[in-house]
Amino acid sequence: MNNPSVTFPPPIANSDSAAARATNVSKIYGHDDSEVRALDNVSVEFEKGKFTAIMGPSGSGKSTLMHCMAGLDEMTNGSVTIDGIDVASLKDKDLTKLRRDKIGFVFQAFNLVPTLTADENIRLPLLLGNNKGNEEWIQKVINTVHLQDRLSHRPSELSGGQQQRVAVARALASEPAIIFADEPTGNLDSTTGNEILSFMRKAVDELGQTIVMVTHDPVSASYADRIVFLKDGKIAGELLEPTPELVLDYMKQLGH
Amino acid sequence: MWRIALKGILGRKARLVLTSLAVILGTAFLSGTAVFSATLNQTFDNLFSDVFRNVDSYVRSTQVIEADFGQQERQRIPVELVDVVKQVPGVADVQADVQAFARIIGKDGKPLGTEGNGPPTFGSVGQKFKGALWSISEGRFAAGPTEVVLDEASAKTGKFVINDKVKVVAQSGSREFTLVGIASYGDVRSPGGATFALFDLATAQEFLAKPGFIDDILVSGDGSLSDTELAMAINQAIPDTYKTETLTGAEITKETQDQIGTALSFFGILLSVFSYIALGVGSFVIYNVFSISAAQRQRENALLRAIGASKKQVTRAMLIESVVVGLFGSTVGLIAGIGLSKALSALLKAASIDLPSGGLVVPRSAIINTIVIGLIVTVASAWLPARRAGKVPPLAAMRETAIEFVALSRRRTIFGLVLIALGAASIVAVTNGASKTLLGVGILFFFSGTITLGPVIARPVALLLGKPAEKFRGVTGTMARQNSARNPKRTSRTAAPVLIGVALVTAVAALAASISSQIDGVFTQQFKGDYAINTTARGFGGLSPSLADDINVMPQVQRATGIGRLTVKIDDKGQFLTTINPATVEGVFDIGLISGSYADLTAETIFVSQKYANNHATKLGDTIQVTLADAQIKTLKIAGIYTYDEIAGKYTVSRDLIKDSSVISFDLGVFIKLKPGVSDKSARSELQAAVDKYGQGTLLSKREYIDSQSGSINTLLGLIYGLLFLSVIIAVVGIIITLLLSVFERQREIGLLRAVGMTKGQVRTTVRWESVITSLIGAVVGILLGVGLGWVIVYALRDQGLSSFSVPIGSTVSILIMAFIIGVLAAVYPAWRATRVNLLAAITTA
Repeated sequence: MNNPSVTFPPPIANSDSAAARATNVSKIYGHDDSEVRALDNVSVEFEKGKFTAIMGPSGSGKSTLMHCMAGLDEMTNGSVTIDGIDVASLKDKDLTKLRRDKIGFVFQAFNLVPTLTADENIRLPLLLGNNKGNEEWIQKVINTVHLQDRLSHRPSELSGGQQQRVAVARALASEPAIIFADEPTGNLDSTTGNEILSFMRKAVDELGQTIVMVTHDPVSASYADRIVFLKDGKIAGELLEPTPELVLDYMKQLGH
Repeated sequence: MWRIALKGILGRKARLVLTSLAVILGTAFLSGTAVFSATLNQTFDNLFSDVFRNVDSYVRSTQVIEADFGQQERQRIPVELVDVVKQVPGVADVQADVQAFARIIGKDGKPLGTEGNGPPTFGSVGQKFKGALWSISEGRFAAGPTEVVLDEASAKTGKFVINDKVKVVAQSGSREFTLVGIASYGDVRSPGGATFALFDLATAQEFLAKPGFIDDILVSGDGSLSDTELAMAINQAIPDTYKTETLTGAEITKETQDQIGTALSFFGILLSVFSYIALGVGSFVIYNVFSISAAQRQRENALLRAIGASKKQVTRAMLIESVVVGLFGSTVGLIAGIGLSKALSALLKAASIDLPSGGLVVPRSAIINTIVIGLIVTVASAWLPARRAGKVPPLAAMRETAIEFVALSRRRTIFGLVLIALGAASIVAVTNGASKTLLGVGILFFFSGTITLGPVIARPVALLLGKPAEKFRGVTGTMARQNSARNPKRTSRTAAPVLIGVALVTAVAALAASISSQIDGVFTQQFKGDYAINTTARGFGGLSPSLADDINVMPQVQRATGIGRLTVKIDDKGQFLTTINPATVEGVFDIGLISGSYADLTAETIFVSQKYANNHATKLGDTIQVTLADAQIKTLKIAGIYTYDEIAGKYTVSRDLIKDSSVISFDLGVFIKLKPGVSDKSARSELQAAVDKYGQGTLLSKREYIDSQSGSINTLLGLIYGLLFLSVIIAVVGIIITLLLSVFERQREIGLLRAVGMTKGQVRTTVRWESVITSLIGAVVGILLGVGLGWVIVYALRDQGLSSFSVPIGSTVSILIMAFIIGVLAAVYPAWRATRVNLLAAITTA
């Protein structure tokens, strides 16, 4: 369980420009008449070094898409690759290691382990992999999210914004291939939320990270390089270089 | 509120089962031991009502010596009384009876039956008689000095058939007989697992006891008189000078049953003490489970309060739940206990205490007791958590997660420290001469103080004990360490049952270690020889005195001497005398004679210990009047004073004292010193051959003998450990339940950890180490308390001759290892449950 060197199947193509790719992914709940298609034949790519937002109304399948891509949920059909690795082919143990080594997560709430300090929480995926990580990089991440003087605090001693910053730092610490953020600012006031989004933006621009964020807030989405819209389990459109106004317009067009 | 409570219970069956588990175990032990005791009593009652079924009157001596530990020695009666009784009108038939120690030696040279703790081995009279206890099932009764009859069970286990040679050992030595018959005892093959060798009357008197004397007379009437009238008639016919009494068959049956009942009641009390300890430990677990479940239902209860339920109603709902749990748990516990009583028989068998088997007896009192006590303990344990549940503010309904109130009050710390201080003060007071009853009070204060302080010390102790886990297990160890410290109240409540169990085990081990080391010291000081022959027969029978004489004349042996014990009456009180052979004892067994010489010890003199001489202001030349078991009164002159009284006791006499009486005595040990220059190896095989000839006793080297003496406490220790094991099981279940509830409570956290890359193995590791740390907290604090408790007990026994206190290092280490293993085992199921947490549900529910 403390084996740091995980052997994954060789990447399909090292020069692949996509950090993650979904091909014809479907997620169907129930059978026959009561069948619900949460995802209906979705194909999408997330480019390396980019900040992508997934938007859509509730029930559009945006969280389900993220869960399937991150190996947190099983898809019914289709395939997902993360950094060239076929997720569907992995057993639980390797899937866990994939999440640990290749994916960073920021959730809406309850992101941190209450018994660990901020520093331990940031390094959690590395510690679980018995991996020292790149100390220089970790320091850089900590500096980027301004947590230098909060490292020895436990989550209960941190504000909501600080907790989310720790979560962002944790997602970055292991230099993952991709970071999935699920409504990371959903529980925060707008000022603090914007601060978190700026950090994520900085992580992409300055640290070269890849982030996919699920949100329903046009202002949050406008921090991204690209927005993918989902509706009724299908891709409904895309928007590049968005601004809040553009997002709102587009959403009106989609009949939202 | 009833409906809400009941719905709440049925809605969470898993919780009902978990909560009930502690009640079930606690009450199962209670009913199990009660059923076991009742069954045992009934078995013996039945046995003895059969024995005297056809005996109408029973004649015996009225002269009895009551010694310590409930032992009695009844005087024998002259055999001529048989003819007197025979002449009484209304008497149809009589049988003279002798019952004494006799051991049947198997074909492999080893005695039949378990030595020491097993049922007794008897020699007796077997003859044709109307009210006979024995009936021949094969062959015939013995006639003449070379014939023997065995009970069916012994014949079967020894694989003896008619005409086989059978060696039997009795007080007068070992002898070979021809098996002429096999007999059964009433309807059973052997009474209560005892072995019997039956002889004709003359042989029984001469071989088992003394010629001319018998133990009692069994009388069968001709039916013309009632039993009472017959007994009166016989009584009148026997002259008063014989000092006899005549009982009816019903009276002797009742007396025997009562005697066994008294002996068994000690055992029953011992069992129930331990089952109450187990129940007490269980009440901690019940209390813990209700506390946790109240905390986890905080939001639910707060919601009830928010929509208008009163504090009382919320509390009542919890109490109703506890009533249901109590009833359900104790009912299941009662049934489980009946099964457990069978397991107890097996446990005793494993401790080489063989008991007759019989039908199961479930007394009504056991049923009522179990249900009522189970219910009371459950509701009482739920009382505080229920009150706390009622106090939940309605606003808590809006809170994110249910967190048990963990702040520790200053009051608790002060209260705990005060209790411990009071405990320490009472113990110090006792060492300064206050009454010893204060010791018990002090111990109680100490325990309650420690339990009160539990939540205060749990966190630092958990963090300390968790250090190695963190060091060796990385972040999973860190989390385990922090988890065990995160809720000190819960941790201390979980560790408390372990603590109590471990403290008791440690105290018992400390006591045993102290006794062992003392015995070791005493024997090392007093036993000056090279070899010893040991017997585990205690109180009944022993080594034939002729064994020591035979060995004494062996060419390799410089000296061999036997040490025995005799029960007599001094100043109308039963006392033990140590019997020695003054001619051979010197230089082999040292009693520390400071005045007089062994040559002065004759049939008319006695040695006393220095302590006795000081206490009674006696000196050499004073006399002591001793009444032997055959009512002979001897006036003995004090001819010597000795200092080593640990083995010899207050009085030591020559074995010649009883030469001319009907009293018999056995040696409890034979001590041997080899001639200088004799090689150990050759001597040992020769000595072994001599011992084998008797088929009795075990030849041991000096070291082996001392070890076996100091280790003799271990049998008792094993039994006590076995009984304390009940508490340990409950403690383990307590850990399992707490861990399960904690895992349930931390589902989101576990889901998050799984999401960011914790493997299932790592999840299990975390739970396992939390469990180990919790278990070790209980063990470490329990050992500290236990050593203290052991010291106090040893101190209290100072006057009984226990002078040195030893810390049981070996046991302590084993307890720590056990605690570790218990932690690992208790975590198996909860850890597995933790890996089954629904990952997605855990991270998506807001």
